[in-house]
Amino acid sequence: MRTKALHLQNVVKKYGGRTVVNVPDITFGTHGIEGLIGPNGAGKTTLINLISHKVGMTQGQILYYKDEKEIDISNKSFDEISRLGLVRSNQIIQDFESLSIRESMLLSLATPKYEKFYNIFCDKELRKSTEQEIERYLDYFHFDNPDGHALSAGEKKLLDIIRCMLLKPNFLLMDEPTAGLPQDQTDKVVELMRRKTTEEGMSILIVEHDLDLIWKVSENVFFMAEGEILIQGVPDEVRKNQTVINKYMGEGSNA
Amino acid sequence: MGLLSGYVIYSLSFLLIYIALATILHLQFSITGIVNFGLVGFWGLGMYLFALLQTKLALPFLPALILACALVGMTALLLGRVILNLDGQAILVGTLAFATIIEYLTTTEKWATNGVMGLGTIKMPFDFGRSTDQVFFLLILLCLVLLILYTAKLKTSPYGRLLLSIKDNEVLAQSLGKPTFRHKIIFFTFTCILIGFFGALSAPLYNYIFPRMIGPGVTFTIWIALMLGGRTRLLGGMIGIVATVGLFDYFIETVVPIPTQYAEMVPNFKFALYGLMLILILMFRPLGILGDKKKEGVK
Amino acid sequence: MTLSTFLSSTLVLGLLEAAPLVLAAIGFTLIYRLNGFTNVAYAENITLGAYFAVIFNSLLGWNFYASIIPAALLSGLLSVVTYLVIFRPSFRRGVGKTELIILSVGVSYFIRYGSRILFGNDLFNFNFSSTSYLKVFGIGVTNIQLICIGLVAVISIGIYFFIYKTNYGEKMRALADNEELAMISGINPTKVSLLIWFIAGSSAGLAGLFYGSFSFVSSSLGWNMILIVIMVSVVGGVGSIRGALVASAFVGIVTSAVNLLSSNSLYGDIVLLIIFIGILKVRKVRV
Repeated sequence: MRTKALHLQNVVKKYGGRTVVNVPDITFGTHGIEGLIGPNGAGKTTLINLISHKVGMTQGQILYYKDEKEIDISNKSFDEISRLGLVRSNQIIQDFESLSIRESMLLSLATPKYEKFYNIFCDKELRKSTEQEIERYLDYFHFDNPDGHALSAGEKKLLDIIRCMLLKPNFLLMDEPTAGLPQDQTDKVVELMRRKTTEEGMSILIVEHDLDLIWKVSENVFFMAEGEILIQGVPDEVRKNQTVINKYMGEGSNA
Repeated sequence: MGLLSGYVIYSLSFLLIYIALATILHLQFSITGIVNFGLVGFWGLGMYLFALLQTKLALPFLPALILACALVGMTALLLGRVILNLDGQAILVGTLAFATIIEYLTTTEKWATNGVMGLGTIKMPFDFGRSTDQVFFLLILLCLVLLILYTAKLKTSPYGRLLLSIKDNEVLAQSLGKPTFRHKIIFFTFTCILIGFFGALSAPLYNYIFPRMIGPGVTFTIWIALMLGGRTRLLGGMIGIVATVGLFDYFIETVVPIPTQYAEMVPNFKFALYGLMLILILMFRPLGILGDKKKEGVK
Repeated sequence: MTLSTFLSSTLVLGLLEAAPLVLAAIGFTLIYRLNGFTNVAYAENITLGAYFAVIFNSLLGWNFYASIIPAALLSGLLSVVTYLVIFRPSFRRGVGKTELIILSVGVSYFIRYGSRILFGNDLFNFNFSSTSYLKVFGIGVTNIQLICIGLVAVISIGIYFFIYKTNYGEKMRALADNEELAMISGINPTKVSLLIWFIAGSSAGLAGLFYGSFSFVSSSLGWNMILIVIMVSVVGGVGSIRGALVASAFVGIVTSAVNLLSSNSLYGDIVLLIIFIGILKVRKVRV
């Protein structure tokens, strides 16, 4: 058991009077990998968006713990939160069409020191200091042409995850990280997540519809429905819980 | 030096300034995604401020140039803070409105600018007798070469990648922890200072400056040139300027004999043709004459 | 000047100023709502509306009021032609939003300088059969100006009712809001788009005609108006006809107030543009 990473208090999001998320009190990050599951429209992605501040909360407070310090991130901006080590990957495929795979990784690795409009001669230095790290990812995932653009949806999805990993976050939110990936790549992503959480102390919260994956990798599972987190516990408990079965697995698709 | 004297050297100097402006527009629009329709506002501001500092306050060349650029920078910073976190169309309207305000102010503030009567005379920074114009031309050429080298180098630098990421997908860049709004303001301010700098260099060339020189026509001519030449390419602006301003303002006006009774119709044909070229380019070859580098294969 | 004459002058002159602007903003806003881009070439529709009226009125000798009708129809036709020849093919080719605006600048240049080749650089005036001066709240106005205001009011209300209260207007709004939904419910998008561009073009032409009737007609008439038209539509809420109305009246009143206080009419525009940039920021409007 680790120390908590995120503490949400009275977090509410309303769209035009309709409450889509209502979380009175919840703590994330006490385990290496945690899973967030629930039927479509339960508010999972919205919750991720609220934590990473891609969208603003209607009310509430979010506390983030890093190096034993408590930081109130309720009013911080999207990019600021990412710099604090609270990073998210994307459900919908996102990419930079002007950047090649390698350039995209370099973008992720470039610190503010390199990103100055007058500092245009530091590319070599950056490439040299990050070469090993980039090569390790390129070897691991095998892109067809690392100096070309990410072409397939799968490549873009992987690149999105790699960009997040390169930021070396303390807490990583992953919205359907393996959707659309072939099985061998899914296995590699899972393996990578395990390694990061055990060796580097990263905490990960995954939102997934692939329940087999959730039962397999997560140490702690949250079940969300109608905007509220109803159940949390170890995978075996949650999958047998009557509410979960009624509200979710009754849909019968994945379980 | 017969070939490079008088009107020819004057025309070539302006051609270089236009190429510089198109290159800066490439930096703002093609690399950062900022739609600046108020380019002429910053150019005119630099030009007028420099002229005022030199004629009214009698400052020497260099202090006047530096102060003019600093004031342009402050204006750009202020405007950038107001509009750069809005979407593209709002930025477009905001910058266009800014340029219009500058144009109107040069007309109304007669106490400073002499209004439509014009402001002058603006002196060259040095006096080399008959070759003063040639030396000034070389100075502009040097500045342009430095600008193009900077642009080329920027594209492969970490900062260039950051700007491209903002243009492509600003939210994704933010999710990687990049403070995109701040960088847009910084780079917008920097590039507007460059525009103001070339504006200040234009003042001694004109000798006398008038409000009608800084109408929206300048902005659109440069946009048209960049689109025509190829907006994604380093030399797109240069090719575009040569094919528009170079061809019409200098080649046709100096070389082709046009009967005087038709002379006043030339600008009408010119701008109508610019418009037509822009339409055809955007509809049939959106990446301009030079096209897309990607399709030729990246290294 | 006493305060009360200042206020009444501001009001009367302001509304005179605003009348053509309302029409121009309504048309602009219709196109924006349908296709989602700032159509700069709309400026030339305004100009050509005035030129068309000049052709019938000054050159062919028609009565001013009679020349309004062919001028409105021809401007609508011009608008439809630009849509069919340039904008619709560009939408289909997937030209981006910013590129569309730049494209419309190209169209604007082509039409403006093309018409200058045809009409020359001269200024034109309308021939009015009889002009008489009247006083409204102590402010001198001509009967022509009053009739123009009346016509603007009638036409704006007509367009308003057409769009908000009739069956066809309903279809137009459905298409503007959601093309897919409109298709499913059996609306023919081509027909409706053509109609919107026609109405927008006509109101632009009428705006130019009335604007020109207050002073003179030149090839830069529309261009001088377009920035304010765009600003009015933005500030009034793009797509909202009521907003355009209020914002136009605001523009007219601010302009005439500043003009009464200072000698130079450009100050009115400067003040307006600064206010607009401020509003752009405060409302964070999606233009």
